[in-house]
Amino acid sequence: MSALTMVQTIARTLDEEMARDDRVVVLGEDVGKRGGVFLATEKLFDKYGPDRVIDSPLSEAAIIGAAVGMAAHGLRPVAEIQFADYVYPGFDQLVSQVAKLRYRSGGQFTAPLVVRMPAGGGVKGGHHHSQSPEAHFVHTAGLKVVFPSTPADARGLLKSAIRDDDPVVFMEPKRLYRAVKEELPDDLDALVPIGKAAVRRVGDDVVLVSYGGSMAETTRAADALVEQGLSPHVIDLRSLAPWDEETVLEAVARVGRVVLVSEAPKSASVMSEVAATIAEELLDQLLAPPLRVSGFDTPYPYAQDREYLPGPARIMRAVQRVLDY
Amino acid sequence: MILESQLFQPFTDEPIAVTSESGEWIAPFELDLGPDELRRMYQDMLLGRAVDERMGRLQRQGKVSFAAPSGGHEGAQVGIAHAMRAGHDWLFPYYRDVTLPLAIGVPVVEFVAQAMGTAADPSRARQMPYHPSSKALNIFSAASPIASHIPPAAGCAISMKLRGTDQVTVCTFGDGSTSEGDWHAGVNFAGAQGAPIVFACQNNRYAISVGFEKQTGSDSIYTKAHAYGMPGYFVDGMDALASYYVMREAVQRARDGFGPALVELLVYRYGGHSTADDDSRYRPRAEVEAWRKRDPIARLRRFLTRKGLWDEAAEREAEAVVKAQVDDAIAQAQAAGDVALETMFEDVLAEVPERLVKQRSELLG
Repeated sequence: MSALTMVQTIARTLDEEMARDDRVVVLGEDVGKRGGVFLATEKLFDKYGPDRVIDSPLSEAAIIGAAVGMAAHGLRPVAEIQFADYVYPGFDQLVSQVAKLRYRSGGQFTAPLVVRMPAGGGVKGGHHHSQSPEAHFVHTAGLKVVFPSTPADARGLLKSAIRDDDPVVFMEPKRLYRAVKEELPDDLDALVPIGKAAVRRVGDDVVLVSYGGSMAETTRAADALVEQGLSPHVIDLRSLAPWDEETVLEAVARVGRVVLVSEAPKSASVMSEVAATIAEELLDQLLAPPLRVSGFDTPYPYAQDREYLPGPARIMRAVQRVLDY
Repeated sequence: MILESQLFQPFTDEPIAVTSESGEWIAPFELDLGPDELRRMYQDMLLGRAVDERMGRLQRQGKVSFAAPSGGHEGAQVGIAHAMRAGHDWLFPYYRDVTLPLAIGVPVVEFVAQAMGTAADPSRARQMPYHPSSKALNIFSAASPIASHIPPAAGCAISMKLRGTDQVTVCTFGDGSTSEGDWHAGVNFAGAQGAPIVFACQNNRYAISVGFEKQTGSDSIYTKAHAYGMPGYFVDGMDALASYYVMREAVQRARDGFGPALVELLVYRYGGHSTADDDSRYRPRAEVEAWRKRDPIARLRRFLTRKGLWDEAAEREAEAVVKAQVDDAIAQAQAAGDVALETMFEDVLAEVPERLVKQRSELLG
């Protein structure tokens, strides 16, 4: 297989899964002839037709809600929300229907569906094309939430999500859609398990934990630390609900210093939960307080698009603080 | 599209009725229901009312937390139920459906156990009363957020269409639902896809205390169908047989591939919105009494009596049967006992995740 970008990988993966299982259907705004505004469903309409690649009305509540009924009736829908910032009209569907169906029916009805959505900033999109709303979903019992940062993980996690019997919110870092190309394995069943983090670099001085778009800046910060002669340990969470406590706690227990990087607003973020868990489990093994480097508690700005993101400089400063503690 | 074989025209100014208040057949077509089916409809209504009344009593006794009176809705609900193929078609119900799930075949014990939250509830005592569901009968799990079930119902019908099953989805709701964005989102998607679904509005003219004239600037619900490219039918929901015949035609039309329809069944709720409501604050007693005089059960009884299918003795016997059925169901529901505490952590996901295992130990020690 030739090297593909993340967004090309997503289109390829949807094709592979639709070919494998005829219960898999795609629905959303512009997913048909247009192939999605980011081309994440490119060529699927030509191959599978309007019954399996459904151009929906411009309504997130209809898209996510209809996916619930389709899934309950036996399909495996993959819904696309054009931008994560637009999910809110469908938020009630996610919280009240998608997340609750199995529980409230005592397991009689389930909603095995995937809701894909490009998220995160760095594309000069202003606050309605840049947000990172994953904490809302993680806070909602009954949803699985993943946020890959590489093409291979996007493929492996999307396959796992489509095959999962639970609903999965699949978040895509849009600023990495075309950032790198990666050679993908030929194996059509190369799954990445939901709930398992990836260790990107093994080190002893400080643990850096991140996910999604912020993995790019975290990786650059780690490279800079290596150039300074330090040894960072880098973890890509990949899954946010459930998240891989074992991998994180094992590394932090060993190293004693941790910096948590995410571009989502700081308050009540996913990384706040990771920090709290580290404090609850490992207080006596910590050499410094867990620090969060995050987006700010403001709406996402337009002009200060890059400055809002937790860039390498801010990450390095936080690393210095935990080293100096 | 209006078919020549159709008995009813959409968008009539007056609600469709097939029997008069005094129980005469007034439709311009022949009744084609046999005596057994007619009696069964009547008995289903008696059962629905008996369960509903008993729920009110159980609430006052502290055995259920809440009840949502459905007295006055029985005619519309029995008509909807009998128009469906039980266990084949899907129902997306709302919380005031009592006669409807019972008439489709939900055992009384399941309905009562759901309300009481005992182990005999197939949904494992997870919801407040009046939220039954049955996988066996394709009755989707009711949800409290108003109209949130409309887009899922549309999706189910779209799935039926693209999988080529000959099933139909029926989705019920009250007049208040039609103000929610999700109602329009779901009805619109079903219309755009020509999906086999019938949207059945039980318009009892009140959303808790807010009257119909404050709910919408429209004169009616059924006219909203125009906007979504589907026929809208206006029915006297106090006439069980009119409810049945219009629903039967709408369901058949959907099954035959002619797409969705919106049916407005004009009903009244005799009780408050719920056992937590005081309806004397917002509507005059005279209005309630006037509607009680149009009772759907009494109307079908007059019809059956005129046809020689019902009499005093049959009534006494049916009431005794229903009472025994309800008594027995309550006893069975209670005897099933409580659900185990640890089940609180199950069915969040297919498997209990590690984090919940820890939280469970925190509770159970």
